[in-house]
Formats: sequence, C-alpha cells, structure tokens
Amino acid sequence: MAGKTIVVTSGKGGVGKTTTVANIGTTLAKKKYSVVLIDADIGLRNLDVVMGLENRIVYNLVDIIEGKCRMQQAMIRDRKLANLYIIPAAQTREKNAVQPEQMKTLCAELMEEFDFVLIDCPAGIEQGFKNAVAGAQTALVVTTPEVSAIRDADRVIGLLEAAMLHDIHLIINRLNQKMVKKGDMMSTQDIVGLLAVPLLGVVPESEDVVVSTNRGIPLVHDRGSRAGVAFQRIAARLNGENVPLDDNGAEGFFGRMKRFIWS
Amino acid sequence: MLKAIRRFFGERASGEVARKRMQVVLMHDRVDLTPDIMEALKNDILAVLSRYMEIDNKTIRVDLEKGKEYTALVSNVHIKRVYRRAATS
Ligand SMILES: Nc1ncnc2c1ncn2[C@@H]1O[C@H](COP(=O)(O)OP(=O)(O)OP(=O)(O)O)[C@@H](O)[C@H]1O
Ligand SMILES: [Mg+2]
Repeated sequence: MAGKTIVVTSGKGGVGKTTTVANIGTTLAKKKYSVVLIDADIGLRNLDVVMGLENRIVYNLVDIIEGKCRMQQAMIRDRKLANLYIIPAAQTREKNAVQPEQMKTLCAELMEEFDFVLIDCPAGIEQGFKNAVAGAQTALVVTTPEVSAIRDADRVIGLLEAAMLHDIHLIINRLNQKMVKKGDMMSTQDIVGLLAVPLLGVVPESEDVVVSTNRGIPLVHDRGSRAGVAFQRIAARLNGENVPLDDNGAEGFFGRMKRFIWS
Repeated sequence: MLKAIRRFFGERASGEVARKRMQVVLMHDRVDLTPDIMEALKNDILAVLSRYMEIDNKTIRVDLEKGKEYTALVSNVHIKRVYRRAATS
C-alpha cells in the first residue's frame, strides 16, 4: 500500500470537519500529491458544494459500494487541480447503506492509487462514524474552543482508541485570539491539556471561511487569508514537514510580513 | 465595563471557569464505566474486603459521585462481622 487514509471527525456537528477536509486535501494536492476526498456524510452531502463541484455529480459512494458503477466513474476531478478528486456522498440513502467492512475495502483500494485518502466523517458517533473511521490509520479530531465541542471530542477520542486507532491529532478551529486574551475563551494550552492528544494546529475564527464556502473555492487558494495559511501549515505538518507550532495560531510579525510581501 | 467591575470583585474569567468545569466533566465521562465493568469492580472490592471482614453481599453499592471540584468513587458496604486478627508486630 502506497497511501494513507485519514479520517476527519469531531463528534459535535458544525465544528469545521468539511472545511478542514477541503483545505487540507487541496493543500496536499497543490504539493503534487495525489489526493482523493471521500464524503462519508451519507444523506447530508456537503463536501461537493464546499469544493464547488456540485454540478458534476453523477454517481456516489453508495453506487461504488453497491457495484452500480466503477470507482473511477464516481470520482470527480477538481476544477483547478488534476491530481485531486472527490467521491460524493449519496444524498437520498440511509447511513446503513454502507458497512464498515466495505469502507475498509474501498480505502485499501484507493490507497493503492492515491497518496492521501481523506474522509469527511458525519457528526455523531453512530453507524456513519463507524463507517468513516473503519478504513483509516490516522484520525484528525476537530474541535472549537467551546465546552460542548470539547466534551464530544473527548468522547470521540475514547471511541477511536477503543477501535485501536491510536494515531490521533487535534485541530482547534475558530479560535478567537481577542477573546482568549480577555480570558473569555479557553486557550490552545487549556484545550490541549484537557484532551491530551498532540496538537496539529489552530485555525482562527475568520469571515474568509464563509466567503470561500460561498464561492466554492477552498481558502488555501487565497494567500491573503490567515485561516487559509493556518490550514496550509496544518497540512504540511500532517505531511511530516517541520513547521513550528506557534502557541496561539497567530502567525506573528514575520508571518504577517511574508504574507504582505507575497500577496 | 460592568464585566471589569465584576472581575475586580473576584469573578473568574469565563475561559477559566470553562476549563475547570471541563476538567471535572471529562474525568466523569472517562470513568463512566459500563455496567459490566461496574459489576466486576464490585466483585473485586467484595473479594478484598472479605479477607478482613464478613460482608453483606447484597448491600454493596458502588457509585460515582460528582462534586463541584472532584469525582469520587463511593462504595457503601454493610459489615456483618470483623475477624479477630493477631496484632501485627
Ligand atoms: N475558522 C472558521 N471561521 C469562521 N467560520 C467557520 C470556520 N470554520 C468553519 N466555519 C463555518 O462553520 C460552519 C460549519 O463548518 P463545516 O461545514 O466545515 O462543519 P462540519 O463539522 O463539517 O459540519 P457537519 O457536522 O454539519 O458536517 C460553516 O458555515 C463554515 O463556514
Ligand atoms: Mg460536514
């Protein structure tokens, strides 16, 4: 097996899993790796609109699994990057249309061809979660700095460990540095201390995320965006590159200078 | 402004409150043992205690108690009789 399967999960809904998959996937593809993104959120398809590929869907994940089409027929190529594909979720099916064993087989097949297989996990801890994690060797747990998201993240980490998935990394999304400074938001250190899994990175709260979703163009194509830069750095660390973790997710003066000069 | 005044009078910042609360909640969630494990734990406690005293098997209870700043494992056991032992020298 050449590639690696990575599931992005959270427990709580709406914390940024789909945004994370789209941006990490796009960054890795920009680094010339071959990447396929699987939307495992059956019944609540979203990754296609975030990637701006909603008009091209013919077949979906369940069609592959049920043998209604070949794998290649359900893979949609990105508009900008020729080495980036998505496999959309079925919109009108139930989560139990897929079994964990089938996902395992599919991931194994995809890993023969691709460097990275990224799975967008549905919210919750039921069947959809079990399917999404079945074929993965690495899990990225996304949380926001809020009590309910952190509690659910802790629960999910427990379930991943119980499923013998021990390569777990934390992503903190929507951190508001101003609120942390005022003492009205838990800091990165607080959250890492509570959840006790290694931190992969911190993404600031940013309006750019909404704008990029509106357009269907992942944030990392936009060099001027702080949140976009955060996702790029996260993808680089996931790829084993040595990118230092700055403690609050901000870039610091030199980062800002560099961005100023680049853009 | 109002917030600054309340802080002045000793109100903790909400981020710190959240962290403290989560410490307790997560600990409680993590030790939220399954009924099977609870049963095994009960039997083990019984076995240990029985070496020293006669226990009323039916009355033993093991519960998790959540206090404001701690989580405790509380076991309530009715003792029927304590064995007389030779004093350890
Ligand atoms: N860093 C951020 N700053 C601002 N808004 C954000 C950020 N990250 C995500 N969002 C917004 O939060 C919403 C939820 O994001 P997303 O769809 O990625 O979450 P999800 O975990 O995939 O949700 P679901 O559980 O429903 O699948 C979106 O509207 C997105 O634009
Ligand atoms: Mg989603």
